[in-house]
Amino acid sequence: MIDLLARVEATGLGTWLRLSPAIWAFPMVLTLHTIGLGLIVGASVVLNLRILGVASLIPLKPLEKLFSIMWLGFALNAVTGLLLFTKDATTVGVSGVFWVKMSSIALAIWVLTRIKTAVFEDPLVDERPVPNSVRALALVSILLWTIAITAGRLMAYLGPTQPEAGILFSS
Amino acid sequence: MNLAHVHLLLNHVPTVGFGIGVCLFLVSLIQKDDKQQQVSLGILFFVALLSIPVYLTGVGAAEIILDRPGVSAAVIHTHEDAALSAFVAMALTGAVAWLALWQFRRFSRLPRGTVVSVLVLAVVSFALMAQAANIGGVIRHPEVVSLEETVTTYEPLVDTAWLNAASVRLFVVDTDWVWPAFEVAHFLGLSLSFGVVLLLNLRLLGMMKSLAFANLHRTLPWGMLGFGVNLVTGMMFFIGVPEQYTTNAPFQWKILFLVLLGINLIYLTSLDETWAVGSGEDAPFTAKVVAASTIFLWVGVVFCGGMLPFLGNAY
Repeated sequence: MIDLLARVEATGLGTWLRLSPAIWAFPMVLTLHTIGLGLIVGASVVLNLRILGVASLIPLKPLEKLFSIMWLGFALNAVTGLLLFTKDATTVGVSGVFWVKMSSIALAIWVLTRIKTAVFEDPLVDERPVPNSVRALALVSILLWTIAITAGRLMAYLGPTQPEAGILFSS
Repeated sequence: MNLAHVHLLLNHVPTVGFGIGVCLFLVSLIQKDDKQQQVSLGILFFVALLSIPVYLTGVGAAEIILDRPGVSAAVIHTHEDAALSAFVAMALTGAVAWLALWQFRRFSRLPRGTVVSVLVLAVVSFALMAQAANIGGVIRHPEVVSLEETVTTYEPLVDTAWLNAASVRLFVVDTDWVWPAFEVAHFLGLSLSFGVVLLLNLRLLGMMKSLAFANLHRTLPWGMLGFGVNLVTGMMFFIGVPEQYTTNAPFQWKILFLVLLGINLIYLTSLDETWAVGSGEDAPFTAKVVAASTIFLWVGVVFCGGMLPFLGNAY
């Protein structure tokens, strides 16, 4: 496993991201990763809030278009995330908090597809109240994204390298 | 031009702006003039938003002049702490003024509780800001009052023992886990506000066209909640380690974008032409320009935020 991770890290791509001082190398990839996060989580959170009853005058059906925003964000973050992984594969690949992030994202995507089926393949979706099972899915979705963002952000502090440990433990 | 210039350019805006805003609001309440009430609430909101760069450039200005002869560090720190309480009060007023604008649109009237809150908060903010400005004036105008006299006779209008730059710094930087926790909150707030920004503005641009804008308008407070979380955590980062932001170019762009977004927000919250966009209707051209610029500026804010450590010196 470590062998494989070391080989990923030693690829041209990984080395370039790790060593290049260019602003459009690592900094741009990381920033695009944040924008992608905003797209997928932002779009799913507004959909989830509506399912949970916020602004309930908004019909649900047209909100199906939000999925194109979500998939755009997901595609962007799959690509940028993979690039970021190659940069530090040996440390990130064995970091617990990274795998917490990966599992919660996998679950969150699965929940999203469940919501898509339950809400948007129902022709009577705007004719009757949203079933409790779907509300539960929306709540779980928000929860999973919260865990994913929390774990992702904490990778900067809890990873094996702990580059920012100084700010976490001042003493 | 440096931050001290910008601070001198902007530093009368909060006091003068709130003075005008409160007077206009009082007159509009007496005359029961709805339009003027909205205008004065818009002024209070926008001036409160401008008090963000006023506070930030003040810290930058202090760094520039602190070592110069004839400049008293004690007066500057007294001014800084007074300005912080004034800023907090003004930000709260801005938040309630925005809520009032939103309620006006949503319910076609202003709830009495909101009116009273705006008035009380605005008057308190004005008093606090006037006091902060008064001390600030002494920094470069020792002919008015002597420096020593200013510090020794200073009595804060509110107890600033718990709310001052040093105590914020202690909390944010010297308490384990606070910085990472605030970073997490900052990213959650980002997602929430971006979601609402996308929903409203993509609709105006023609996506999800069957949605009436008046219904989407109800999600605005959620977007503002996200922004509020980010304003609080972001200010804490700044006050915690100001030296990594004051000379940071992407940070300055980020704040400029935020102020411009404030203008767009007033437009989206209050104006008839967006409110009237019904189900299936095409939004007017102005609304589309505002919507496109809102998404652009918002992505710009995130972009600049992401670039803080790379184009600037933040970690």
